[in-house]
Amino acid sequence: MAHIPEGVLTAPVLIGGGLASVGLLAVALRRLDYDHLPRAAVLSAALFVSSLISVPLGPTSVHLLLNGFMGLLLGWTAVPAILVALALQAAFFGFGGPLVLGVNTLNMALPALVCAWVLAPALGRVRPARRVWIGFAAGFLGVMLTGGLVAATLALSGEPFRPAAQVLLLTYPPLALVEGLVTATIVGFLQRVAPELLSTGARSHV
Amino acid sequence: MSRTSPVWFLLLALMSQPALAHKLKVFAQTEGDWIRGRAYFVGGAGAGGARVEVQDSEGRVLAELTPADDGSFAYRALAPVEHRLVARTGDGHGARWTIAGETLQGAFSPPTTPPAADPSDDSGLPPTRTQPPADIPAPQVPLDHDPVAPQTFDPALIGAIEQALARQTHPLAERLNALEERVRFQDVLGGIGYILGLTGLALWWRCRRAGERA
Repeated sequence: MAHIPEGVLTAPVLIGGGLASVGLLAVALRRLDYDHLPRAAVLSAALFVSSLISVPLGPTSVHLLLNGFMGLLLGWTAVPAILVALALQAAFFGFGGPLVLGVNTLNMALPALVCAWVLAPALGRVRPARRVWIGFAAGFLGVMLTGGLVAATLALSGEPFRPAAQVLLLTYPPLALVEGLVTATIVGFLQRVAPELLSTGARSHV
Repeated sequence: MSRTSPVWFLLLALMSQPALAHKLKVFAQTEGDWIRGRAYFVGGAGAGGARVEVQDSEGRVLAELTPADDGSFAYRALAPVEHRLVARTGDGHGARWTIAGETLQGAFSPPTTPPAADPSDDSGLPPTRTQPPADIPAPQVPLDHDPVAPQTFDPALIGAIEQALARQTHPLAERLNALEERVRFQDVLGGIGYILGLTGLALWWRCRRAGERA
């Protein structure tokens, strides 16, 4: 899934992904909103732990990604949050590895940023009752975009594209649906108990 | 109250500790000239849909295996050379395991006469027997006696012993291998501690800069 292990990708892909991640990180750190840091830490911890609950599905095993939700709530701050969580997963659990960290971060962070750009502004525009749907869209979009990026990185590295694409087509849509539902539930819950969290999120990354 | 949702999620994740994690592994051992093994996700679930390639030391593909639903597979080696097992699930999960050529040596030792010992001799013995059989004369051999050279043993007998030993130790070795990779509670706590520490560092950095400016 989002953790491509060591030794699968070729050097140009690894270097390209690493450079792109460093670039994103530089922008993110420049724009870092320090008031978002505690929230980013909680979400980073959630992402770090979420990979432990994974479900065997078809030939592979999947778990929640949470990157759409992180993009929605954190905006640019999602990039360092994802990087930290992935680095710790590589160090503690052996998912991914130090060399592929750049590519894996890119695959997770780009969809988060897309969600931040496309969906977070909508949070402020729609009626509060409709925010749940935006949550669903963020979860769905985050997973599908990550799936597409993983398939693209594998294809760029010369892995046989068809089996990879087949597996991804088989496993990502159900996961995206589940992720969408989970994200919608969390957004709905936040809307009830702390709506200001969602509206500040919507304002801050426009 | 505002942050309870992720916190609950986190707690839930912590409580479901033995849950399946997500890294593909492959493990194999020799039994005679058979290589038996299993492809699985760390935590235990077999990777039934994975594909296992058997390669030699130069990367030439000798065979491609499709594991059973529980991830187990078997391959009959044709020569006592190094075998590399490469498992893939197709979406970027991959794992390797190497079988050294020496471990297959026993099964490919020069053929001799079949074991002279009556097979019914030991077939009735329980496998967990700890007492040595009474008919082993080794302890009675005087110390100044010629050391028993290995070639005086029947190679077929050695092969049989190696095979039996492999059968007995296989589950143990597999468990040990799986334990090595298990995600432990302290790892999870350690990771969360790192995240909190990094956040604290960033906030401290910000306070320091704000103080300098003031």
